[in-house]
Order: sequence, then structure tokens, then C-alpha cells
Amino acid sequence: MTTRRTPMVVLGTLVGLVAIGSFRASPAALSMTTTAPAPTSVTATSRTTPTSTNHSTTTPSAVRSQTGSTVNYNYGTLAVSVTVQGKTITNISVPSLNDGGNSYSQSLDSMSIPILTKEAMAAQSASIQSVSGASYTSAGFIQSLQSALTALGI
Amino acid sequence: MTTSILDPTTWTMRREEEVMGTVVVLDVYADASVTCDELSPSLRAAIHELHEADRIFSTYDPASALSRVRAGTLDLANAPRVISDVLELCRDARELSDGWFNPWGLAEGVDPTGYVKGWAAQRALEQLRAGPARAAMVNAAGDLVCYGVPIPGELFRVGIVDPFRPDSFVALADLRAALATSGTYERGAHLIDPFTGRADARLASASVSGPDLGMCDALATALCVAGEEMLATIHSLAGYEAFVVGLDGTRRWTTGFALAGVTDYDLTAAG
Repeated sequence: MTTRRTPMVVLGTLVGLVAIGSFRASPAALSMTTTAPAPTSVTATSRTTPTSTNHSTTTPSAVRSQTGSTVNYNYGTLAVSVTVQGKTITNISVPSLNDGGNSYSQSLDSMSIPILTKEAMAAQSASIQSVSGASYTSAGFIQSLQSALTALGI
Repeated sequence: MTTSILDPTTWTMRREEEVMGTVVVLDVYADASVTCDELSPSLRAAIHELHEADRIFSTYDPASALSRVRAGTLDLANAPRVISDVLELCRDARELSDGWFNPWGLAEGVDPTGYVKGWAAQRALEQLRAGPARAAMVNAAGDLVCYGVPIPGELFRVGIVDPFRPDSFVALADLRAALATSGTYERGAHLIDPFTGRADARLASASVSGPDLGMCDALATALCVAGEEMLATIHSLAGYEAFVVGLDGTRRWTTGFALAGVTDYDLTAAG
């Protein structure tokens, strides 16, 4: 049962494109991507852990980072920074988070931001389709991430 | 076993919708023969369901029908029918959970919010199911419901967030319908012990899978507050199974839970 799926090495890039396509969706528009056929030479091996995000792309691509615009969310403001290699997201962080010193909000943020990061990264993993958790998903997070990706021309 | 991973005859569409104070993600998988135009009506109908639920059930909007029912300025009989329907479903959930899920247990009046998000996501999914997509998943801030398979021969596989390390997964699960997760690490308002009235939980995280997301959501909340003794109750409900993480990190699950693996140690070692 551990050989049900191919290594993420191959799929990371393909699914990554799907995920990035999703972040381009503006509220008024639908995003659509077509999945590409899998290479026929794929060798099935043990599943990689879905927490890994090191897609080893075979073609060298520039690593670039961009911080998105600062946006309002329910408890304050935040800005999301994204690092991409080629068109694949390799890291997401939240360098700017201002919740006005609200301690309830801070404890919330310290938990929810990693979940949001996880969710965005997981969208690129070939192993899983979604994340279940007691998460607080911030529209502001998506908005800032989108602006960062747009600035990177992705 | 060799399987084709990405089927070239399939295309996917993702829509992220800001609604109900969060972002709901709708993933749709359609055959190449289906056009975007053919799919759009069902997607629009799904999104409409979410916004309708928000409009009627928002507890933040004093003008919503539910707010007015709570305030006593709108008779339940004159309110949208779905409010009575949801309250009836909440009564079922209260009964099935032996009272651990209790929207009537709060001082501020009846609050079915703990049921509505999952209920609305389930209704959105039914709209997609009625359309031409062969598979779809709706993720309402961590509560999931799906039909079909994303890849021929493979179920939807999802990660369950580790309550102690929210940037990691504590387990993976295969999904045929709904999965809801409650935890003490989330916004806590609905994790109140209905028997003591205090914010209290006996588990770090509780996930419930089953045929209906509204019920999964309610049962996950109840389980998180009640503790692992409630696992047997959930297992006894047809189609419902559960996976929990204790306050000490211990993981337990009912025998029917479609556990696909745990991420930081071997499943066989977990027993």
C-alpha cells in the first residue's frame, strides 16, 4: 500500500503548477488548469512524507522571494512572503503581523499561521489533496500571498 | 501496483471563496470532455449555497434571520425554513452525542454555528455532485467533504493537522465523504463543556469521518470536549468513525477510521 503513488519528486512540479494556478484566482474569476500526463518512466517507491516540500526540480531555476502587500484581516494586518524556485513555491512565511497586541489574537495567530502555510504548501504535494484541522483560514493571508505571486509574475 | 498518477483526460479547477468569515476551497475534477461552461452552473450553485448559509445564519450580522430569531424579533415560524431544519439536525446531533454537542447550552441563546459551516459545505458539495464533475472536494476551513476520486482508483487523501505542531500532520486519512476536525488550538468559543458551562476539552484534537459533514462537525466538537470515552459512541453510529489526539499526545482511532498513515512514526509501530 505504500506504492500507491509515485514520488513527489516528479509530481511536485506538475501539481505545483496546479496550486499556483489556484492562487491566481481572483474573486471574480475562475482558475483552471489542466493536469499533464505523468511521465511513463516513473518508478514507484515508498511514499514521501507530505510534510516535505523539497521538490528537487531537475531543471535549474532561479530562486526568488517576494513579500506581498500588507492586508487587513479580522484581527489586524499581515503580510505574506513567498519564495519560489521556477514556478514552484518552496517557502511561505509571515514576516509582518500586527494584531494590536491582542493576546487572544496572538495565540490564535501563532497557531493559525503555520496551518495556513502548511495548507498552501500542501497544495503542492502530490501525496494529499487537502488538510483537515481546526484552522482559522484568513482571507488576508490568501490576498497577500496572491499579491506576492503576482509581483513575481507567477 | 502500478497506477497512472495524473490522468491526462482529467482537468481540475479550484475556487477559493471568502464566505462565513473564512475561505472555503472548492476543488472540482472533471473529464476532459466536460467544458468549463458546462461545469460553471454547478459551481455557481455551490457558491450560492455558502453565501445563503452565511446570510441566514450569521451570528455576527444582527440583521441575519438567525440573529433576529435569537433576539426574539423574528418568529421561527416566519424565519427561513432552513433554520428550523438546521435546529432539528442539531437536536439529532445533541441526542447522538449524548448531549456533548449542545447548541442550546450557551447563555447567549441557541447557537447552531458549530453545525452550520459543515452543513453549508455539504450542501455546496451536493450542488457540485449534481453537476458534470466526476469528483469534488469542499474544504471549509479544515472541515472537508468530497465525492468521487481525484485519480482513477485512488481516494482523496488528506492530512490531519498535528495539534501540538500545527505546521505538521499527525496522520493521513483516505476520504470517501466527510471529515471534520476540532481542536483546542482553534478559536475556542464552541469548545465549551455543555455540562459545566466552562471552556474545557479532554482531547487536543478530534477528527470524525462519516457521510455528512454537518454531523461530523458536531460530533468532532462533542468528542473533543467529552474525551476518548466517546469513541465507542461514534463507532456505534453507522458510517461514522473517529481519530483523536489526547492532551498527552496519545493517538487513538476507531477500527473503521480510514487511516492512511502517521507522519512521524511507522503506523505498524503505533499498533
